[in-house]
Amino acid sequence: MQPTVSKEEIMQVFPKVAATMADALGCDIEDIKLDVSLIEGLDAESIDFLDMVFRLERAFKIKIPRGKIIDNARGELSEAEFEQKGVLTPVGLAQLRAYLSEVPAERFREPMKVADIARLFTPETFCKLVIVAQRETKPA
Amino acid sequence: MLDSGLAGKAAIVTGGSRGIGRATVELLAAEGVDVTFFYRDNVSAAESVVTEGRARGLRIEADRVDIRNAQACAAAADRVAERCGRIDILVNNAGMIRDNQLAAFTDEDVQIVLDTNVGGVFNMARAVVPHMIVQRAGKIVNVSSVAAEKGGRGQTNYAASKGAINAFTRSLAVELAPRKITVNGVAPGVIETEMSEPVRDLAGNDVLARILLKRYGKAEEVAYAVWFLTSRFADYVTGEVFNVDGGYKME
Repeated sequence: MQPTVSKEEIMQVFPKVAATMADALGCDIEDIKLDVSLIEGLDAESIDFLDMVFRLERAFKIKIPRGKIIDNARGELSEAEFEQKGVLTPVGLAQLRAYLSEVPAERFREPMKVADIARLFTPETFCKLVIVAQRETKPA
Repeated sequence: MLDSGLAGKAAIVTGGSRGIGRATVELLAAEGVDVTFFYRDNVSAAESVVTEGRARGLRIEADRVDIRNAQACAAAADRVAERCGRIDILVNNAGMIRDNQLAAFTDEDVQIVLDTNVGGVFNMARAVVPHMIVQRAGKIVNVSSVAAEKGGRGQTNYAASKGAINAFTRSLAVELAPRKITVNGVAPGVIETEMSEPVRDLAGNDVLARILLKRYGKAEEVAYAVWFLTSRFADYVTGEVFNVDGGYKME
């Protein structure tokens, strides 16, 4: 099962996530809209993603294992069910669309390469990541 | 006096209880750096570095860490960041030799050298780089060896590990340049340390014949190169491996 996260939970963490992302990207906090594409809208590069993850780990006192977004998106699908030779399977793509429900449908390419998934990420994606990590950090 | 910009910085030096590592710890600390060095086995040597350094008013801490263990490296780096508030400098110095003819190697002779010399550098870089990325600054110096570029009998394991460090240095320099983190190497020749004693004992004359300056290097002479690469004087140097070998020639 993919983790489900409510809009309310997202809005709770968003201000701190936005401030952290603005620090990592060196941009104004006003530029960090919930649905802006980090790569296409804010010129984030791969090292910026790492920077954001490291800062979020500190700001929220959580651990975000490397590759966690993709793992979350994949849910209970096996790697082979999710992707073949670096390209998402139809089931994998459907799963990704469901996980990144905040991303407009037209932004998903077909075929979709695993390497291009990061192009879809928005601040909301990172809010979800933080929320799931918080749940996993707290004792049940 | 020129200001190296090192005073007040926080550094980690691996393999700091002896040899080049110890000389580096002492030199950086003398420049006002808060130095934490890691060591694995030699508790009394480590204690003496700390005691003697502190008697001179230097800020030196020791932490017993096996750099082959990635989790131990991450935890130890976090402790330094917690104590100092940041990590400005990483000197990957720890290394070992296990010389023999290739055909006579045991599996362990190969594995332990690669795990320590290469695995340790990966583990430490992975532990420290996240801190440097967030800081948008940092200097990493990897201690390589002349053996990476110049063949030596009985050293395939060691030479391969040091060649890997040179390649690692150049690639990591590319990766971290956007965050103004420099990554360089120092490649010592034959230095008067415990580690090079067997080589000097066995093949001293042959080795000296290949060194243009006709003498072995001193640990401090390598430490000076590390000092330069960690100082502000080397802000515009990255992806380089700097030889400190007295002019060592190929056999």
